[in-house]
Amino acid sequence: MDKLLRNKKAIFIFMAPGLILFTFVLFIPICQSLYYSLCDYKATSILGPKFVGLKNYRDLMKDDTFWIALKNSLFFLVFSCVTQLIMGLFLAGLLTNIEKGKNLFKNIIYLPCVLSSAALGLLWMFIFSPKFGINKLIETLGVEGFVKNGPLWLFDTSGFIVLPMWVIAFVALWQYVGQSMMLYMAQISGISKSLYEASYIDGCSKARSFFHITLPLIRPMVATAMSLNAIGSLKFFDLVFNMTEGGPNHKTEVLATHLYQQGFKYSKYGYASAIGIVLLILCLIVTAFINKVVKTEQYEM
Amino acid sequence: MKKIKPIRIIIYIFLIAMAIIYLAPLLWVLMVSFKDSNHEVMTAPFSLPQSPSFDNFTFAWTAGKLGVATLNSFIVCAVALIFSMVIGSMAAFGIARLRWKLSKLSLTYFLLGMMIPVHCLLIPLFTRFTRMGLSNTLTGIIIPYVTFSLPITIYIMVGFFEGMPNELIESACIDGATIYQIFAKVCLPLGKTGLFVTGLMTFVGNWNELLLAMVFISDDFKKTLPVSLSKFVGPYNTNYTQMFAAIIIAIIPTVVVYCAFSNQIVDGLTAGAVKG
Repeated sequence: MDKLLRNKKAIFIFMAPGLILFTFVLFIPICQSLYYSLCDYKATSILGPKFVGLKNYRDLMKDDTFWIALKNSLFFLVFSCVTQLIMGLFLAGLLTNIEKGKNLFKNIIYLPCVLSSAALGLLWMFIFSPKFGINKLIETLGVEGFVKNGPLWLFDTSGFIVLPMWVIAFVALWQYVGQSMMLYMAQISGISKSLYEASYIDGCSKARSFFHITLPLIRPMVATAMSLNAIGSLKFFDLVFNMTEGGPNHKTEVLATHLYQQGFKYSKYGYASAIGIVLLILCLIVTAFINKVVKTEQYEM
Repeated sequence: MKKIKPIRIIIYIFLIAMAIIYLAPLLWVLMVSFKDSNHEVMTAPFSLPQSPSFDNFTFAWTAGKLGVATLNSFIVCAVALIFSMVIGSMAAFGIARLRWKLSKLSLTYFLLGMMIPVHCLLIPLFTRFTRMGLSNTLTGIIIPYVTFSLPITIYIMVGFFEGMPNELIESACIDGATIYQIFAKVCLPLGKTGLFVTGLMTFVGNWNELLLAMVFISDDFKKTLPVSLSKFVGPYNTNYTQMFAAIIIAIIPTVVVYCAFSNQIVDGLTAGAVKG
């Protein structure tokens, strides 16, 4: 048996396809991307990439749109981590405490997670267009002149974090909160009932037992859900692209859309690679940070 | 008589409000997609269609090329699904069951893939695939899709294979099975639930993928659903009824899959995260 499981040929046959694919489609391209980011490389360069050192990164520092994109991405990151944590926990707490219709509500709230965010982006773009959609709905409900005087939603450009970003962040929360909720629910249902019974006997209220039993016990899951959120919000592309395409006037650009614009609209491969590397580094830092701060020792359940 | 606590009522009112926020936009799209003119959408977006018609769907399906796009999406997702399941479960078996020094390390290698955003790979992949003549072909997006589905597949399947009792493999071994037979006839059938769950997640994920497909494919007849959708928005005049019909066509398949298998999808989601 041991001989069978140590068979070199079998190990090779089982592992080779996966490892080869992974190395060629993931690992080598990342190294290439790192190299391209140090090169002057456009789609039109006949000689291929030319090494220029940190020039692309220096250009990035001077690029106003990059700073807007970085600001928006970070806003997105913070917003989605915080709101998803609060809403997700809140919904999970509510749903685990009711008996009737638990599955129904759970499935409804999770539904948008499996839908195409490209399609949902188009839908919400329409809902938030100033002339019809939400403004019209409010007017139909009785507020006079709201279509004329109401907020411009996706076309507003004032403020540090522009209104369209809040709108998109809200839509993202709407779409993905189901995922956090699901993860928390799974973890909460794993907590032994006896802990709660003991706390009730000691005169603990439901709310207190939530803060003193549930919260500490699901802390590892908070770390997991948060890192999923964080990576997801940094990678965020579909909704922004279909709702505003980075406009008006680049005010709603995020890192992913900026990368797409630079790389595939203007064909600046080297420059776009530099944005990609910034994105990658951000992802790694944020995950490491969340796991360090939120994840602590696991309790015995 | 059992007393109903007021807090219960508040909770249910809140939940019903949430359900409305979630379902109303989707139902509204469905309603608008049956309206027969753009004018009606502008003037009375919230009333029922005056003369409901299927024209928008036929238009989106044929002239809007969504029919082709649906077929493309289906081919891409199905092929990517099969390959990622075969390659992924093989690698997972190798990691979980075979005895070799670097098995833990290779698991870490695969799992690192979960943290890497697709965006950093777009440019190197695009330039290489163009050189290899793979850009603008369905194969060109199937290969990356398979690769990006591997980490989650391997992760979940390793859990399943490791959980299987040793005796099973021992007894198969005594009966003279080769290692390949053990994998194909003992372990795979037992890991069916795991495969099913990962398959669902992979399928849904690839079905909705936009960025990579958009970059790699420019030929209208090879576009996948999410990419074709964006054609329905023009800079100056958008035909909303058709756009909404297109949205419905794009989300119906996942809605159906979700309604049929919501429990398994949830299992997959939590199985993937709990062990992390």
